Amino acid sequence: MNATSTGPGVVSTPGTPLVEISHLDKSYGAFKALEDMQFELRPGEVHVLFGENGAGKSTLIQIICGVQNYDSGEYRLFGEALTGLTPAMAHEKGVSIVFQEFSLIPDMTVEENLFLGHEMTGGWRLAKSAMRAKVQSVLSRLGFHLDPAARVSSLRRAHQQMVEIAKALLWDCRVLILDEPTASLTDQEAAQLFDIIEQLRDEGLGIIYVSHRMPEITRLADRITVLRDGKYIATVNQCDTSEKELVQLMTGRSFENFFPHIERTPGETVLTFDNVTLQSGLAENLSFEVRRGEVLGFAGLAGCGKSEVLRAAFGLERIATGRITANGVALEKHNPRKALSNRICYFPSDRSTEGLAMHQSLTFNSTIAALDDPVFSRGKTLLNRRAERGFTEKMIDKLKIRTPGLTAKADQLSGGNKQKLMIARGLSREFDVFLFDEPTVGVDIQAKLEIYDVIKALTEEGKAVVIASSELAEVMHMSHRVLVMREGHIVGELDGEDVTENAVLSHFFDHESESQAEEHHAP
Amino acid sequence: MSEQTQTSGLDLRALGPHLLLPLAIVAVIAVFAMLQPAMLSGDNVVNIMKQSSLFFFVACAQLVVIITRGFDLSVGATVSLVSVASSMVMTALIPSLGDGLGIFAGVVIGLLIGAAIGAVNGLLVAYGRINPFVVTLATMSIFTGVATTISGGFPIFNLPDAFTFAFNQMTILLLPIPLIIAGLVAYGLHFALTRTVHGRVLYVLGDSNEVAHVGGRRVKEHLFFAYVTSGVLASIAGLLMTAQTGSGEPNLGTSLVLSSIAAAVIGGASLRGGTGGISAPVYGSLLIVCLSIGMNLQQINGSLQPVVIGAILVFGAALDAYRTKVR
Amino acid sequence: MTAIAASQPSRLGRVMKAIGILPVVLLITCVLLALYEPRFLRTSNLINVLRNASFLAIISAGQMLVIIVGGFDISVGAIVALTSVSSALSMAGLTSMGVESAPMIVFLGCLGGLIPALIVGVANGFFVSVMKISPFMVTIGTMTMAAGIAGYVTGGTPIYDMPELFTREIGRGRLMELPYVVYAAVIVLMVLWYMQTQTRLGRYFYAVGGNEKASRLSGLNTRKYIWLAYILSALLAGIVGIFLTARVGSGEATLGSNLMLESISVAVIGGVALKGGVGRIQMVALSAIFLSVLSNGMSLARIDSKYHIIIIGLVIIIAVAAESYRENRRSGHV
Repeated sequence: MNATSTGPGVVSTPGTPLVEISHLDKSYGAFKALEDMQFELRPGEVHVLFGENGAGKSTLIQIICGVQNYDSGEYRLFGEALTGLTPAMAHEKGVSIVFQEFSLIPDMTVEENLFLGHEMTGGWRLAKSAMRAKVQSVLSRLGFHLDPAARVSSLRRAHQQMVEIAKALLWDCRVLILDEPTASLTDQEAAQLFDIIEQLRDEGLGIIYVSHRMPEITRLADRITVLRDGKYIATVNQCDTSEKELVQLMTGRSFENFFPHIERTPGETVLTFDNVTLQSGLAENLSFEVRRGEVLGFAGLAGCGKSEVLRAAFGLERIATGRITANGVALEKHNPRKALSNRICYFPSDRSTEGLAMHQSLTFNSTIAALDDPVFSRGKTLLNRRAERGFTEKMIDKLKIRTPGLTAKADQLSGGNKQKLMIARGLSREFDVFLFDEPTVGVDIQAKLEIYDVIKALTEEGKAVVIASSELAEVMHMSHRVLVMREGHIVGELDGEDVTENAVLSHFFDHESESQAEEHHAP
Repeated sequence: MSEQTQTSGLDLRALGPHLLLPLAIVAVIAVFAMLQPAMLSGDNVVNIMKQSSLFFFVACAQLVVIITRGFDLSVGATVSLVSVASSMVMTALIPSLGDGLGIFAGVVIGLLIGAAIGAVNGLLVAYGRINPFVVTLATMSIFTGVATTISGGFPIFNLPDAFTFAFNQMTILLLPIPLIIAGLVAYGLHFALTRTVHGRVLYVLGDSNEVAHVGGRRVKEHLFFAYVTSGVLASIAGLLMTAQTGSGEPNLGTSLVLSSIAAAVIGGASLRGGTGGISAPVYGSLLIVCLSIGMNLQQINGSLQPVVIGAILVFGAALDAYRTKVR
Repeated sequence: MTAIAASQPSRLGRVMKAIGILPVVLLITCVLLALYEPRFLRTSNLINVLRNASFLAIISAGQMLVIIVGGFDISVGAIVALTSVSSALSMAGLTSMGVESAPMIVFLGCLGGLIPALIVGVANGFFVSVMKISPFMVTIGTMTMAAGIAGYVTGGTPIYDMPELFTREIGRGRLMELPYVVYAAVIVLMVLWYMQTQTRLGRYFYAVGGNEKASRLSGLNTRKYIWLAYILSALLAGIVGIFLTARVGSGEATLGSNLMLESISVAVIGGVALKGGVGRIQMVALSAIFLSVLSNGMSLARIDSKYHIIIIGLVIIIAVAAESYRENRRSGHV
């Protein structure tokens, strides 16, 4: 029965597994997304899928819910071997999924979205009142305060996430898949969700939970399956595995020698935020300084405003009050153009829409931010194509970008090489400040190490580096100074030796319990 | 090592689409030449050169905005309005100013009108952030209306012979003048698209506005100038076509809108933006003009010719969809 | 926590948002027109306006469906011409074959007219949904082909020889003072309204246009709905073609040449968003009436017909600019 679940300390619970996957392979062209994968989900457990971005978690859950098919291997759902599963079939059999990428139609109402594809009808006609009643009952069971008639596009991201969860739980299901469901929830909303998940588990559902947030895993998981680079690593019991062991399984190496040691030589201040509040309200009252020769990290949950801080520094967010100063020059009416000319460089987290022009060549992408530099253009109008080509060739060598050729399109590169191509842009002209927003999202481990080396080299050359990352280990170990953010505010600053896992986490939790206490007092 | 073999393999495959169109054009000419030897007669070759040169400009006008993921439905209206307005200026001024100055004034007015229409489109698309399809649909309607209004709906005759000679009949080293102008414009446009910052930014913003913005480019300005360029190119077409017909015609450009888009797309520009070089309008206009002249020689019913063009259009678009899937 | 409060603006604001400014503008236009030119209110004139609005509304309803699923249908005008020619030809053919019964001829003739329309719609839908070709290119292509075939078949001369029943009854016949096409339009509007608000199908059209990938993830067969939208659009254009043919009294290859632009204008002015997923039939109907009133007013005021397209162009720009302004403001607020 349990032949598929190897790994240490497997508890045996009664009942047939809901999902059983063995020797499963899946590749996209030459890229092997999953190799000899195995996985098992039993009724009444929360099974966490743990791995870095690009480890194959998303592919696995997409196969389980029928969005993708697989090349070879076996997939048994409720004990039945399946091929050619479609999302509709999976839904019918009782597999519900909360996607990380929103599967909502922005111009439709909450209610319309909840029922999409499974509307209740009486004859030809939509049974609107029956649907409304069902929505109300589900929303109140979940404790979500949502207006069923509100348009999804008018909702905040967290509320959209709630709609997504409600959509999965609207119908009775036996397998529930949650792909980083708390990414944009506040802690209170997340706590509510956890209660529901525990309740559903007790009702006998099998829950697959994808996350790399340690506190959530500790709270929810029964078993954890670790993936790395598309391969199955191990399935372990949550109760007898430490966090450190998990991270070691995930990265394949110990914490200590994964991150490089970066020499700290604090120099002059090159970027200052002076009580800055953003017009969007996503970050408020920000004051901090960025100095040469050190790495400043922003830690916090997704949606806490850390990435908006970086965007504001680069002129992509409008500022309501306060002042941003670079090298002593106040940046008024800030925009990316001004940021670049004030030697600030920004690497967006969203490579495909903001980072790279996917259908253009490597050269086009590597020099786009430096086209008015005299090295690459004469009089800011005529391109110096030889210099561009030379620069790109140099970067391919230096950053070890693996590419089919100079004329290849950005789209043809793998995630890690795309990221390196974007970083090449940072070397195309003189910069003082480098802003990295999620520098290693969707990047394989080899490329990750190479990117860390670039950050190390830049810092030791005396540049100022700022990193915002949702991966706690990354911010902690790469930064000399860490600012912790919560709900748009900087709630803590840690320096040098104080930057330890416990310190950062305790910062998270101290504030959490305080604010929760406050909310309990509120009427 | 393996990378090198990969490179050469890719190059061969990349070469395929480049050869496809020239081969198609040669094939079209060959087939019609077999059916009708007159296809290769001197007069007819000159005719092909002239017609495709005229058509080339509107295809270019379309290309510049298609690169930015846009459209310009107003090229036809621009051609008509330029034709009417510059003819009126010439016929009005020549009695008092003489041929030279009168023609000069007419040409300048024509180019200015093109630039102005382009500027209106550009303002609404780039700064007003309105869908280019709707913007140019509206300006097409407006400027077609203006063209028929100022001309009263009738052609404007009595253009000076010097004008039709200088912009249509004159040959330099056996080459008709429209072809020479087309060559110059092709070179200039190619240079602008590949060797200047402006051209580079157009390709990048056609791929993604945000990337260009984060790259510190003035996205709106570049987009605006793309539409102005398109307007100017369309006005050149208007002037040359007026010289060809010998009169200012208020409906000169009506049929050009759709076929100009067709030419650019068949030639290799993708409606998804960010691709297409100068070869697109060159091949596209040659292919369409050769086909229609060939069909005329073969005396294929005038009504059936659009059916062939339409089929080619769908085929070209299918090719484009296929190319996108491959990349 | 504040979701409910945030998404419920004042009642008046919500009502304004729901109905938009179009009805107000339409009302003002009518009142001004009636004051300026009393002839506007004559029954014959109003019927005239209503008839034009009906033609426009039917064809724009199809255009709306296609735009809602994220496309375009440039071929509607050519479909009108094709239907006109083929229905006239099949009626003439049936007559010469010696079919006696006039109702039979008319019925079969209309079917004969709708079949080519159906074929064009199926082809459009196939290329767009299955082959994933840009709808713009596909429908330009089928437009040129359909128009070319219509022109070739007629050889440039109109086709007469249609039964009296067809031209007299369907073309000029009236029921309670109103031409039949008005009833046809009302039926089309009601059916589409019912579909959009009360059935799954209507929701799926919105969903597919609003976010195709999300719809697929929710288990919808997105291709099917895109395809269906093009077929419906072609059939509605075909219906307009038949009524126009009856009205004109002959099958003509030049019929409906303005309808492509007009249908897109009506849809855009009626608030159908070109990005897809948004658009309501009621507003499209109002917008069709608005454009008909506008051009009727211009004719009554003896504004040269050449100015009409200028003014309609301006109206389109104003409508879309207002829409885009609202959109930007809304996204700026959230």
